[in-house]
Amino acid sequence: MSVVDSPATRRSSDPGRSQQNRVTGHAAPKRRRRENGRTPWLLALPALLLIAGLLGYPLVRMVVLSFQNMRLRELLSGRTPPWVGFDQYTRVLSDGVFWAVVGRTVAFTFVSVLISVLFGLSIALLMRRVSRGVRLFMVVAMMFVWALPQLVAAQIFRWMTDSDFGVVNYLIDKLPGVNYQNHSWFVNPWQGWGVITMLVVWAGIPFLAITLNAGLTQVPKELLEAATVDGATPWQALRTIVLPILKPLIMIVTTLSVIWNFGLFTQAWVLRDGHPEPQFQTLATYSYTQAFGQSRYSLGSAIAVITVLLMLGVMIFYIRQMFRIGEVD
Amino acid sequence: MTNITSTPGTDAVPTAGPVGASKSAGRKPDSRREFKAFNGLAHVALIVWALVTAGPLLWVLLASFKSNTEIFLGKPFALPASFSFSTYADAWTDAHIGRYFINSVFVVLISTAGTMLFGSMAAYVLARYKFFGNRAIYYLFVSGLAFPTFMALAPLFYILKGMGLLGSFTGLILVYIAYSLPFTIFFLAAFFKSLPYEIEEAATVDGASHVRKFFQIMMPMARSGLVSITIFNIVGQWNQYLLPVVIMSGPGADQKLLLTQGIAQISVSAGYQAEWSTLFAALVLTILPMIIVYGIFQRQIQSGLTAGAVK
Repeated sequence: MSVVDSPATRRSSDPGRSQQNRVTGHAAPKRRRRENGRTPWLLALPALLLIAGLLGYPLVRMVVLSFQNMRLRELLSGRTPPWVGFDQYTRVLSDGVFWAVVGRTVAFTFVSVLISVLFGLSIALLMRRVSRGVRLFMVVAMMFVWALPQLVAAQIFRWMTDSDFGVVNYLIDKLPGVNYQNHSWFVNPWQGWGVITMLVVWAGIPFLAITLNAGLTQVPKELLEAATVDGATPWQALRTIVLPILKPLIMIVTTLSVIWNFGLFTQAWVLRDGHPEPQFQTLATYSYTQAFGQSRYSLGSAIAVITVLLMLGVMIFYIRQMFRIGEVD
Repeated sequence: MTNITSTPGTDAVPTAGPVGASKSAGRKPDSRREFKAFNGLAHVALIVWALVTAGPLLWVLLASFKSNTEIFLGKPFALPASFSFSTYADAWTDAHIGRYFINSVFVVLISTAGTMLFGSMAAYVLARYKFFGNRAIYYLFVSGLAFPTFMALAPLFYILKGMGLLGSFTGLILVYIAYSLPFTIFFLAAFFKSLPYEIEEAATVDGASHVRKFFQIMMPMARSGLVSITIFNIVGQWNQYLLPVVIMSGPGADQKLLLTQGIAQISVSAGYQAEWSTLFAALVLTILPMIIVYGIFQRQIQSGLTAGAVK
């Protein structure tokens, strides 16, 4: 099914590794040897403890909570909330609003990741062609965006699309015959999501472009030259040489983007001023408003558990890819 | 399937190290000849794109020098009447951005260092040692990547309260480390796997302890990977907002707010006091350190990333 399967491809993407590894060859390292002693465990212990205490415990709490019915009353009195089994899940899953939110989140994730990866890849490819000065300028511009806290980026976009003082309305209004004064971008959900997608793509491209550009430097120049000599068009060279070599990296950054965009919270939250309307809810904001806005903590937990399961589906895909690539033995 | 490239010759092609390759890339005249027109277009497209990218930031930078009345004049790209740094001074002192700035630097410095230390140790063990539960622990770490932070906020609040760490930098730093570890371990484990085994074995033969092997042999070899993940963590932690909001509460916490909280504070109060220029100045102050970090480590980011990710 996948190109990555063939051992040859595995080798072709090998130059990405450290220099020494090539000297070593790809011989299966002696993994089987058993190191005894407690030291390995001790080395992993601090990380294990921190994750178990500060990440694992809340995760367990969330799962437990989703099988209870915790409302404000139980929260304040500190009593153990009643156990309700799968009631919260049946309630969530039989709710049309929830499915609308799932559909919206999936659609947004698909569109935003597709646009980001396509743009990121094209920019990475273009960066290989331009002169050094232009490339430097681009890298600096991208660093600016990449370094911007999500909160800050979202604030900037909120201001740019402000109906009264926003620079976007100002610029569109300059076009002849268009009146965009005091145009509100979030009345029409399509336009609103357009702004949110713009923001997410804008903020996501630098990571993708810089990573993919770094990956492109690993494509052997000799191969491309040979292809040109053999009369391959640039498009053919891209499709049959560059993309297969880049495929593992594209898989990884795509999956990371999916995970990040699927959990969209801050951007929608800030752009809607902390009160996202129903048509601007994503799974993350929906779970949050149910739990903390409506004090339905258990319902919010159930939604979050479902979200995590959906995301883990993506992660399994990711890890399977890594297996293929031969990373996780 | 359509895998024309996977000829055995591919891996025999000597490639320069990632850094060297990225430097010499694009300067070679190989593709130039036939695609001159295309290259012209490429330049135009890229410059337009870079302007779109940098446009919002330019707007922020301009606005940060303007007075409130100027911001609302309706000429967003007009130059400010005078380039005074008074808005910055206001933000730094009156809005306490200076203090929050130092708090943020302090917290991020320590928590990134901790994340890298603990994360690389765990990743090393998971990548290089075979022991019972190895794979399970790895997956456990990785599944942490999918966990939505906001669902952890309430339990975290109680854990920290129970430990008496609420509103303390220690508590915040521990939480930052815990939430950065999944990503760190995920990437670094892959990186450690790719390092050669011979040197490590030689060290074992020479009688080096596990700890010594890790610090004196593996860490230096994994340098580029460590640097790039460090940057990711610095940026990620610098940008955190939800976690500090919850953790930095309680008595005396108002002295210990972080930069992102300070910005949120200004933007909330700005609605009443109309201190928009202060907000924009604070935004610029937030970006600056990250730019500096990137400037210093830019090359390592590129090389380390590829070495860690392209397998």
